[in-house]
Amino acid sequence: MPDPSAGPVPAGPAAAGRAPAGPAPIGPVPAGPEPAGPAAVGPAGPAGLAADHLWGFLAALRGAGLPAAPAKRADLLRVIAESPPPGMAALYWYARITLLQDVSDLPAFDRVFDAWFRRAAPGEPPIREEDERAPAPGGPGADHPPSHEVRPGDGIEASTLSTYGTRDFGRTGERGRAIMRALEAAWPAALPATRSRRRRPARSGDRLDVRHAWRRAHRHDGEIIELRHLDRPPRPRRLLILVDVSGSLRQHTPDLLRVAHTALRAAPARTEVFTFGTRLTRITAALAHPYADQALRSVSALVTDADGGTAIGAALEGFLANTRFAALARGALVIVLSDGLERGDPAPMVRATARLSRLGHRLVWWSPLACSPTYRPATRAMSAQLPSLDHLGGVRDLATALEEVHRLPAVLSGPRRTAARHWSAQHPMGATR
Amino acid sequence: MTPDPGELSAALAGQGYFADEGLCTAIHLALRLGRPLLLEGEPGVGKTEVAAVLSRVTGLELIRLQCFEGLDSGQALYEWDYPKQLLQVRVAESRGQEVGDLYREEFLLRRPLLRAVRAERGAVLLIDEIDRADSEFEAFLLEFLGDFQITIPELGTVRAGTPPIVVLTSNRTRELHDALKRRCLYHWIAFPEPDREREILRASVPGLEERAADGLVRAVQRVRRLPLLKRPGIAESVEWARGALALAEGGSPWPVALRRALGLLIKDEEDTRLLLGHAEELFTDA
Repeated sequence: MPDPSAGPVPAGPAAAGRAPAGPAPIGPVPAGPEPAGPAAVGPAGPAGLAADHLWGFLAALRGAGLPAAPAKRADLLRVIAESPPPGMAALYWYARITLLQDVSDLPAFDRVFDAWFRRAAPGEPPIREEDERAPAPGGPGADHPPSHEVRPGDGIEASTLSTYGTRDFGRTGERGRAIMRALEAAWPAALPATRSRRRRPARSGDRLDVRHAWRRAHRHDGEIIELRHLDRPPRPRRLLILVDVSGSLRQHTPDLLRVAHTALRAAPARTEVFTFGTRLTRITAALAHPYADQALRSVSALVTDADGGTAIGAALEGFLANTRFAALARGALVIVLSDGLERGDPAPMVRATARLSRLGHRLVWWSPLACSPTYRPATRAMSAQLPSLDHLGGVRDLATALEEVHRLPAVLSGPRRTAARHWSAQHPMGATR
Repeated sequence: MTPDPGELSAALAGQGYFADEGLCTAIHLALRLGRPLLLEGEPGVGKTEVAAVLSRVTGLELIRLQCFEGLDSGQALYEWDYPKQLLQVRVAESRGQEVGDLYREEFLLRRPLLRAVRAERGAVLLIDEIDRADSEFEAFLLEFLGDFQITIPELGTVRAGTPPIVVLTSNRTRELHDALKRRCLYHWIAFPEPDREREILRASVPGLEERAADGLVRAVQRVRRLPLLKRPGIAESVEWARGALALAEGGSPWPVALRRALGLLIKDEEDTRLLLGHAEELFTDA
């Protein structure tokens, strides 16, 4: 391979690839300005200018939150040096293919590229509608308004919105802490498992571990003395908890979040927690703090729609429309903590619940209302989605949650989608007994 | 000499694959820089097909590694052929010979990645649906993707004489590790534009009238704008055209044939219902 810097046009000495030097003479000021390096020492003339411009573009990308690894930048410079792109479209593809790492970064990438290379011809976006509509998890695609974007720790957005909506969830009492310890201990036995596809050596199993037998045989002059097997050990399924934080659940929200916290503590690698009200927020990371009060404080900074309205259907559909989130529900135990009081048209919520139920291993719905002995799932939304549920239980605080967690193994071993059958039976406490 | 994007486009079209400028540039750069190419896109946009076509264009062997959960190095890289080694010991014993070295190439089972490294003329290696493998597996891939080499403790490092052309595909069901992405060129394959989709239909459904193809492509493009659970890919629209054509040849009028073959385009009950609700606007000029 020829040395990149020996190439014909725009690379110039800067392509040797060390310091991202030089203020760009003709570019706009990048959004996040890089600390200006030493002044460009490139030769005056178009080649030097082009090289500076390219470095400016790379710096602007970094400023826009899309840092490209040195190896990737070197790739770009190499191809440009070896065969100068015949046109702007070719340069666009060179840059996009070498630098971009994820389609969700595409809109930001295009903005920076346009600002640096296409100002003369702004009416010529190379991106078709399909690209914009691509499933861009967490990305500002056309399907997801930015307010639904889930970005834990996105401080800027949170602070602008937190003037309303955020809420102090209070401290955990002594009795509460005791129940939380019990909950944390109860979760593991209540979580479903499946058999791993990674086989492990075991005393018994469905396959011979020939590799192991052979290694042992070495010690005995090739004589096989003991046989070992390979088995598929159990692997815990994922636990997905969706917590409703809307106003109708105001008094229960802190305890419901504490319940989610105990689950996360009990199975940290396998649990995902989201809240929904008017928007969807992924709180797994914020809730992971070992101390519940501290965890709830970070959650309250993140959840800006607490005590607001509900659009359960829209929130769940937003969750499912994101392929990466929907993948979290696949084969998982899904627990929804919500009263299921949908204000508007219940159809989206019913549809979303049905899909969640099909994706997951089991779908359990815990509603504070169901704690009352006189409760019947009679609202239009609740009765319509009941056939999708595997279990509808009553959880309004930590103590009731503990009871429900103890009931989970029965739900997991029983047949699917039996909530409707339980509740249609005439017993007042049908499903919770 | 690496073909430029224009030549590539023609070569691929000669094999019945119609790639747009972005994809051609991506393949061109992958060949030029000798880097793996990571392709993402919705199911059915022809990601896997890229590798198959590349193998036909270059005349190199296609080696395919289908990923699944639990895929491990023994299935992807190499494995020692233990039964054969055991037999070797027995044979040597019965003949009273020295057993000799048991960790030689002849006792090695070459799995796809090692085969790709060992292919003398080079090969096209397809690592399909990498997102289906668990994230542990990506770690196995790093050494291979970075330097096209595999380290076998008993033998040493095996390096590719001619680096293979590597294509990885992912459906984005989970996020891939940064370390993996850093070693690859990345291209997102979008749904095709109407012109390109017409071209594909023309090539893969012989006997389809121009007017019918026009209407069909318009309908598919509209269908993709609906909020479906699964938007139909190119594979589906080709199947749909084939099905409708078969029905039309059997005597159904074209619009009826289109509707009756809808099961080839949409494979979900809810989506079908949604589609039928919009049937009028979708199929008016189809």
